[in-house]
Amino acid sequence: MKSIWENYTTENAYDELMYSEFQPRPVSHGLCQYLNSLKKTDIDKRKIAAELAIMEMGITFTVYSDEGNIDRAWPFDIIPRIMDAREWRIIEKGLKQRLTALNCFISDVYGEQHFIKDGKIPSETINSSKNFRKECVGMKPRHNVWANICGTDLVRNKDGVMYVLEDNLRVPSGVSYMLENRVITKRVFPELLQGINILPIDDYPTQLHDMLSSIAPEHIPKPLIAVLTPGIYNSAYFEHAYLAQQMGAQLVEGSDLVVKDDNCVYMRTIEGLEKVDVIYRRIDDDFLDPEVFRKDSALGVPGLMRAWKAGNVALANAPGAGVADDKVVYAYVPEMIRYYLNEEPILPNVPTYLCSNPEHYEYVMAHLAELVVKPANESGGYGMLVGPHATAKEVAAFRKVIQADPRNYIGQPTLAISTAPTLCKGKLEPRHIDLRPFILQGENTFVTAGGLTRVALRKGSLVVNSSQGGGSKDTWIINMEGH
Amino acid sequence: MLSRSAERLYWLARYMERTENTAKVVSVYMNLLMDLPKGVEMGWQQLLRINGAEAEFYEKYKSAGERNVIRFLLSDESYMGSLFSSLSAARENIRTTRELLPDEAWEQVNELYLFAKNDLETVSNRRSRVLFLKKILEGCQRFSGLLSGYMSHHHPYRFIRLGRNLERADMTSRILDLASLLLSESRSDELRQYETILWMNILTALNALLMYRQHVRSRVKGDDVLSYLLLDKDLPRSVTRCLVEISDCINQLPNNDALSDRVQELEDYVQAIDIREATQLQLRVILDDLQNKLGGLHGHIADNWFSRVMPE
Repeated sequence: MKSIWENYTTENAYDELMYSEFQPRPVSHGLCQYLNSLKKTDIDKRKIAAELAIMEMGITFTVYSDEGNIDRAWPFDIIPRIMDAREWRIIEKGLKQRLTALNCFISDVYGEQHFIKDGKIPSETINSSKNFRKECVGMKPRHNVWANICGTDLVRNKDGVMYVLEDNLRVPSGVSYMLENRVITKRVFPELLQGINILPIDDYPTQLHDMLSSIAPEHIPKPLIAVLTPGIYNSAYFEHAYLAQQMGAQLVEGSDLVVKDDNCVYMRTIEGLEKVDVIYRRIDDDFLDPEVFRKDSALGVPGLMRAWKAGNVALANAPGAGVADDKVVYAYVPEMIRYYLNEEPILPNVPTYLCSNPEHYEYVMAHLAELVVKPANESGGYGMLVGPHATAKEVAAFRKVIQADPRNYIGQPTLAISTAPTLCKGKLEPRHIDLRPFILQGENTFVTAGGLTRVALRKGSLVVNSSQGGGSKDTWIINMEGH
Repeated sequence: MLSRSAERLYWLARYMERTENTAKVVSVYMNLLMDLPKGVEMGWQQLLRINGAEAEFYEKYKSAGERNVIRFLLSDESYMGSLFSSLSAARENIRTTRELLPDEAWEQVNELYLFAKNDLETVSNRRSRVLFLKKILEGCQRFSGLLSGYMSHHHPYRFIRLGRNLERADMTSRILDLASLLLSESRSDELRQYETILWMNILTALNALLMYRQHVRSRVKGDDVLSYLLLDKDLPRSVTRCLVEISDCINQLPNNDALSDRVQELEDYVQAIDIREATQLQLRVILDDLQNKLGGLHGHIADNWFSRVMPE
């Protein structure tokens, strides 16, 4: 019988769901049994139902072009990615540990700088970081937390170990897609979800709201919370509106806000000006306040930094938090965990070669064809070299780019990142995936149960970014106890 | 609530109401034409008159036949007053105010938009047009219903009611304008025979036939219909009722200073209109004037609540 598993292979990487094409891992037993009970046409029907739900729910990217606005549906694969809750609990602990250390580090960088003085990191690395903001020196945000919302990218290598690939501490996005993916799965596979003990994820907006309330200036019992968006033409606008709506917060654009001489932030309402206490800003530091950062920013609010420094408004994430979201600084996170928390890191880093270090530099240059080389401050998968997939010409060109600015580049071994079965033209094929859990830190720390699984839909591709042909999957953390 | 959000909700409601009104008027008009004999001077161009869109129409089309008029009023994306343009504008406004509305509101408008976009080409065919318009009307009603049932009747809701009723009053006055034209002395004997059918359809276009029968308790006559649609205090689509709603919203909104008086003036003005005393020509002048006054009221609302430049 020709099955949807025909030609499935688990040879090239660790597969999250399958030991082999014939044998599912214990966590995916229920799913595989269910899939095998469906006719091929049934699976196609579910896929179409999911696409329809996505269109109706309006989960789209809007691509604005000269020919008009094109709404592109969020690329979603209906086959979920599954993890055992026992493994997840360890990862969750590791993520909390990591963000706690990162926040200690950011506080330290803008404070006494013990980490530098004790020789743990060269001061040059901090001073040359684009995301180090001297305007933030001496600030003390509430609970000493600078990065309140973090999206950490995890990948599993062929050895089965989960590695931290990067910490996104500026304006990480994707959480709304994580939430909507579950809503779609519930619509598409209602009968399947009933029998499986999946940890719920839909309390995220409540947790986000509580965290934002906890960082409001003191003595404000019911703070007014606003989500600051760059506006409707931003590709993540859907998420900004979604989170504001789910939290019951105000969704504001820069032009809705004004900072007055009393250094307080107000929004323009039908009743006049109303004070804003907490701003979840989805605008990069550069554009936040034209009085301090980029003068040409029309997205930000003049005077916002004044208000923040005066302690009249909380900003999440705090300006300057991005200093720890730098691929060079990343290499030092395990050391931060030991230094600030006196603990061993629970989640390992991917081995990282810093081109600013002469020895590492020599190594990277000698092994370019095997390594992944990334710029320190880019996101979205841009400006990087995947050695094994690059032509000799591309490698040579990249060599020159690194030579010109070694500080800005790091090298890492090319990981055989894990795969999961993905529906491709009616059949299941292995596709590479990563995982972005979201961590909230204010008075307390919270980790989403799972996160956003991104999948590289192109065969063999390792790039999961939605701007570059990536899609996503629902992520199930299954409680196996009692099974 | 943000001034920007207030403005977008107000326009969301206006565009949804415009979508519904356009669908309603076109479907009633199709019905009317089926009742009238061939040769009676009621062409498709009368529909353009209601929207005040004759000039723009003739820039694009040579003749006002069914096909062209329907395309123009329902699916022409370059005409801002077409049903599809209104629905698209409503969707753009709700897309940017989702955080103030129940989840289902966005999905409802988005689904309706996707449906319309998909089925836009089918409207040239009469049978599929009937189905298309029915779906649009149902969608608009569902939208109003779910807001009424799911949403707190607070400031954001008041701006929605404000937009809806201003648009509605405007549409009713346009329909009455057309009606008074049809009443004019110059109409032919042949059309006169069908007068009752005409008035019944006008009542139907404003969902008022049953209410009229219960309330007026006489046969359907031009003067009575006009008075009823202009002056009745309870009929949802009468001009007076719309003004009552507008006034109610305005009085409950903050900083309403000068606006209360302005609506009161407008209400008094409408109540003073005496259909039986006015000649047809005078009536048309009055209705024209009423439309201008409604436009003026919109200007005052915008200046008062939507203006982005505020005194420091």
